[in-house]
Amino acid sequence: MARHVPGLDRVLGRARVSRRPSALTAKTLTESVVRLSPASLLSNPVMLIVELAFFVVAAMAAFPHAFVPFANPGDRGFYVEVAAILLVTVWFSTLSDSLAEQQAKNTANALKQLETEVPAKKVVTEGWEREIVRTRSTMLRKGDLILLEKGDVVPVDAEVLEGIAMVDESLVTGESAPVRKAPGDSLIGGSKVASDTMTARVAVNPGESYLDQMVRLVESSKRPKTPNEVAITMVIFGLSAVFTIIVASILGLSVALGLSLDLSVLIALYVCLLPTTIGALLPAIGLSGISRLYERKVVAKSGKAIETAGDTDAILLDKTGTITVGNRQAVEMMPLGARTEKEVGEAAFLSSWFDDTPEGRSVIRLAHEKGFVPRELNALSLSEVYDFSAQTRTSGVKLHFGSSFVLPKGSVQRIRRKFFLEDPSEQGMHLSGEETEIVKGAPDSFLRSGFIVPKGFQELVDTVASEGDTPMAVAKDHEVIGLVRLKDVLKPGTREKIEAVKAMGIRPVMITGDQPLTARSIASEVGIEEFVAKVKPEDKYSIVLKEQSQNHVVAMIGDGTNDAPALAAADVGLAMNSGTEAAKEAANMVDLESNPAKIIDVVLLGKQLLMTRGAVTAFSISNDVAKYFAILPVMFATAFPALRSLNILGLGLQTAVLSALIFNAIVIPLLIPLAMRGVTFKPSSTMSLFLRNVLIYGVGGVVVPFVGIKLIDMLLGVL
Amino acid sequence: MIDAIQSLIVVAILASTLISGSLLAPYVVRVLTGTPTRLDRLLDPLESAVYRLIGADPKMTMGWREYLFAVILLNVAQMAIAFAILVGQGVLPLNPMGFPGLSWDLAFNTVVSFGTNTNLQHYAGETALSYFSQMTAIQFLQFTSAATGVCVMAAMVRGLRPGSSHLGNFYVDFVRVLTRILLPLCAVAALVLVALGVPQTVGGYVTVKTVEGATQRLLIGPVASLVSIMQIGTNGGGYFGANSAYPFQNPTPVTDVLEIYLMLLIPTTLIFAFGELIGRKKETRPILIGSYGLLAVDLAVAFLGSIPAVGPGIETRFGGFFSTFWTVITTASTTGSLNASLTGINPLGILSAYMGMLVQATPGGIGVGVMYMLMYVVITVFVVGLMTGRTPEYLGAKITARDVKLVMVAFLVHPIAILVPTLAAFATKAVDAIPGFSSLPTSVAFTQVLYEFTSSAANNGSDFLGAAANTPFFNFATAAVMFVGRFVPIAILLALAGSMIGRKRVAEQSLRTDGAAFSFVLIGSILLLVVLTFLPFLILGPLLAYFQGLVNFVG
Repeated sequence: MARHVPGLDRVLGRARVSRRPSALTAKTLTESVVRLSPASLLSNPVMLIVELAFFVVAAMAAFPHAFVPFANPGDRGFYVEVAAILLVTVWFSTLSDSLAEQQAKNTANALKQLETEVPAKKVVTEGWEREIVRTRSTMLRKGDLILLEKGDVVPVDAEVLEGIAMVDESLVTGESAPVRKAPGDSLIGGSKVASDTMTARVAVNPGESYLDQMVRLVESSKRPKTPNEVAITMVIFGLSAVFTIIVASILGLSVALGLSLDLSVLIALYVCLLPTTIGALLPAIGLSGISRLYERKVVAKSGKAIETAGDTDAILLDKTGTITVGNRQAVEMMPLGARTEKEVGEAAFLSSWFDDTPEGRSVIRLAHEKGFVPRELNALSLSEVYDFSAQTRTSGVKLHFGSSFVLPKGSVQRIRRKFFLEDPSEQGMHLSGEETEIVKGAPDSFLRSGFIVPKGFQELVDTVASEGDTPMAVAKDHEVIGLVRLKDVLKPGTREKIEAVKAMGIRPVMITGDQPLTARSIASEVGIEEFVAKVKPEDKYSIVLKEQSQNHVVAMIGDGTNDAPALAAADVGLAMNSGTEAAKEAANMVDLESNPAKIIDVVLLGKQLLMTRGAVTAFSISNDVAKYFAILPVMFATAFPALRSLNILGLGLQTAVLSALIFNAIVIPLLIPLAMRGVTFKPSSTMSLFLRNVLIYGVGGVVVPFVGIKLIDMLLGVL
Repeated sequence: MIDAIQSLIVVAILASTLISGSLLAPYVVRVLTGTPTRLDRLLDPLESAVYRLIGADPKMTMGWREYLFAVILLNVAQMAIAFAILVGQGVLPLNPMGFPGLSWDLAFNTVVSFGTNTNLQHYAGETALSYFSQMTAIQFLQFTSAATGVCVMAAMVRGLRPGSSHLGNFYVDFVRVLTRILLPLCAVAALVLVALGVPQTVGGYVTVKTVEGATQRLLIGPVASLVSIMQIGTNGGGYFGANSAYPFQNPTPVTDVLEIYLMLLIPTTLIFAFGELIGRKKETRPILIGSYGLLAVDLAVAFLGSIPAVGPGIETRFGGFFSTFWTVITTASTTGSLNASLTGINPLGILSAYMGMLVQATPGGIGVGVMYMLMYVVITVFVVGLMTGRTPEYLGAKITARDVKLVMVAFLVHPIAILVPTLAAFATKAVDAIPGFSSLPTSVAFTQVLYEFTSSAANNGSDFLGAAANTPFFNFATAAVMFVGRFVPIAILLALAGSMIGRKRVAEQSLRTDGAAFSFVLIGSILLLVVLTFLPFLILGPLLAYFQGLVNFVG
């Protein structure tokens, strides 16, 4: 239980997109001033009330005589001060709004830059004629055919129709290796064709791509309120209504009971009581929540999706890509019969020399680490390469000794080409002289005739498999000499993320096509208790439905068309940008980097967003207690001197109201950083988060203003 | 401050209500869930006859609109009957004193007052109401309004319950609560009260010669039966104008303790029943800790001030301690009966009384106390629940924007219903019609008028003004406040419960509401909400009186 759970920042890691340049620019400042107009405050009624209050007090400052007996013409200076603070309060609110919007736009634009207008080659078919028309990406419409040649930038999201090509998506996804695209695959706008030629069909209309959707989501005024924001707005409205009734009643009573009240003091009380802090910061919190996702190159289709992510209590994790890096790594050489580890290691080394897959490279690395570098290394240059073939399910080399060091003709060509074409019909060249043939592959592929299989082979294979690893057999001159143990390699940081997720009461469920034995071993290694093995992509849908029928809020990832129904059914569906259009269409979020492990970040960010909202709301409400104690004794002091005993803070009669108002205003910019970066928290159980946050933002919210108002009051006293 | 023995008495009484509440709860649950009991053979035929008589199908289940409609229909009809009785009591039987019918504004005020479980009395029973009126109009409404409270709570709980499909059947709930809970309990309590010296007769007032040779008129009547439902049903409207300060309603310290106990009995029982009715016994915890925790705060505040053994408005039989104790309990349970004049209670005691009526859930009126506490639970869960990083949920149901809206509106009813008429009373100079009012210091005058409407809105019924407020303004204003204060929150909370029907429940992993941690946060949030809403007015009333050094509100 006492396992160390890292903090949120460590779990999430650094943001992928810098939010620089800083959002505080002249443009932001101008924008914040423009937003002071009452018309643009209509969407934020609390701030509109504060602005109306400003107008009233400003009128009192201008024409104090008109407000007698609710104003004292001698207090004109005080009215000016109150009016100024009220205006600044509203400005702080519009400033936070502009800042958050600018920040969100900055990050959104950083992503959007990937999709600037580029030249496009449109294929126009007339009868049997095919014509290439040069045009711009913005002119393309969904369904248009485009021609993509080496060096072209893919103008918009599209789907490959004909041809196979390598595409460099590093600008979009950060993945440096070019990706092979074949008919049916989807192309991301902004990626670059690295080789060959193909035709593709445009998948979206301009302005409909996820990036455009994303930019729309950060336009403060156009962004629809999420269910949760609506609910908080109800609380804000309710409290505002309560305080309006209170202040109106005090005003009425002051007339009826003949208490001499100063209207500006009453207005100050009103503004202090109104939930101005949450009212000012609510839009900024929502926008910043979206920005934080964007910084991690995840595009949400709606703000609601981010909130739902926070509600997730079951995450379906694909093993490959999420928990493991997707490639197995060699970890052990296991000799059979009379063979030694060294023999197996050297043979494995040789057979893997031309195998450029991560698995093959890992065999070389392991052999090298163990010092099993074979003397026959030189002979490799004269070897004949057996590419992996689906028929034999093996690959290897045939070494020729005693001949010249001439590079066999075509071998370089074939080594390059084997990554692109797997043509089992291609045969290696046969050279004369002493030869050794070394082959590696799946153990059962050696059970066919032509191979000598030593005793104990099958037992060793079963042992390795039952330990969650994959055995690979190595044969030398048609005799199996040993096994290489290939282990699934865990993604760095996954363990911590799983730990964090579990600490927050979320159930991670691993999904894999592996055999149950292997699945169990890997799941337990990262601390996952539940897994579903032997899953075919189409099974995911029923897994999602089953979880939901048990009242879980389910998050999942997917990239294939097979995944689309499950992505649509899941409460949170995160599609990989490298995936098919159908998958991206069905999901409510898309990860531009196509990193399945992001699903965990998404959930944690959703929680952080909700937490930040709750924290600022609680803080805002609990602040009111101190403000009452600052203003009420002063307000009634002329009518009832006995009430001075309530001035528990010992505030100056002249400065108490100003101190409370200044605190009320200044708390907004002080909380802007919190609103923009979100509450930091250490993933832990709901109850401990609850207690911690109630203490900090609830109890703290009661105590902090007492201290703050007193300090401001002392400062004003000195001035 | 109170001494050790007095503290012990407080603890003993509260402990006994808690114990009896927990013992009685399983039976109440059986009544409300229709579980067979041994009483069935006796009562089933009777209840079936009632259902046939009123044409109700006991197997029918209701949604929130139907349930609410039935509640309001029945309650208004009952008030109409009582109104006719009060206005026409002069020609009705059992009126040996020959009292005339009430003025229609007073009768209107009285039936709304009793029909809403408030029992604000702008008349003195012994000089205004016939035996027939006391036994039918008054006692009848005391039973029906109390039963209504239990019914609406049961309906709300049925809606909140995970997997709920309906709110039950109001007519069945109403009949069963009367026949199986209130009538049997009141019969027992009335007999005990009679044994302890409370009169029960329809023989008319008796004139006797005292030992000193003077003649005295003994104002006796069917008192014990009325007192039992008055306390058990958290009604509070007494037989006599002086309520339980009058010896025939509360003769000895023993009856005094018993009557305090009876006020808390059913509200406490319903808290224990809540957990079982909702299907999660532990969910009783926050309601119980919340209500009794706040009651402890109320008591602490009240007992902080000086508690003289004797003083103006204080009965020497009970003294300052029992009077203050009763005042706290009668407001905390929104009963409203009194064993002393409120003018005799010190300002902190009155402050505590205000808190009881402003919270309305410590443990609050019969049935509605639990409902109000659930309202606070939903607000609290929403605000603090967000801080756990999930959409807040209660009993597995996600709290939607509509829920928050409903709860905020329900919460708004109280300040509006209290502050608007208070302001109107001063602004229209309606207060000047109260004899001697203009000579009172502001703090005392304001305390009294604010109390009148706070008590009305909270359906409490205790007041400073009494028959002095028998003016058309106060009769209509308080009647309106009582009606709104009763039925608007009931309607909104039933709507809330109704919207929970069939709602998807999440597998609970979020904020646990059944633990001590949440319970204390709940107490804090209720105090915060109530203080934020009413502090300026409490400052102008009881707190000002306190800081001015007043020891009571005699003026």
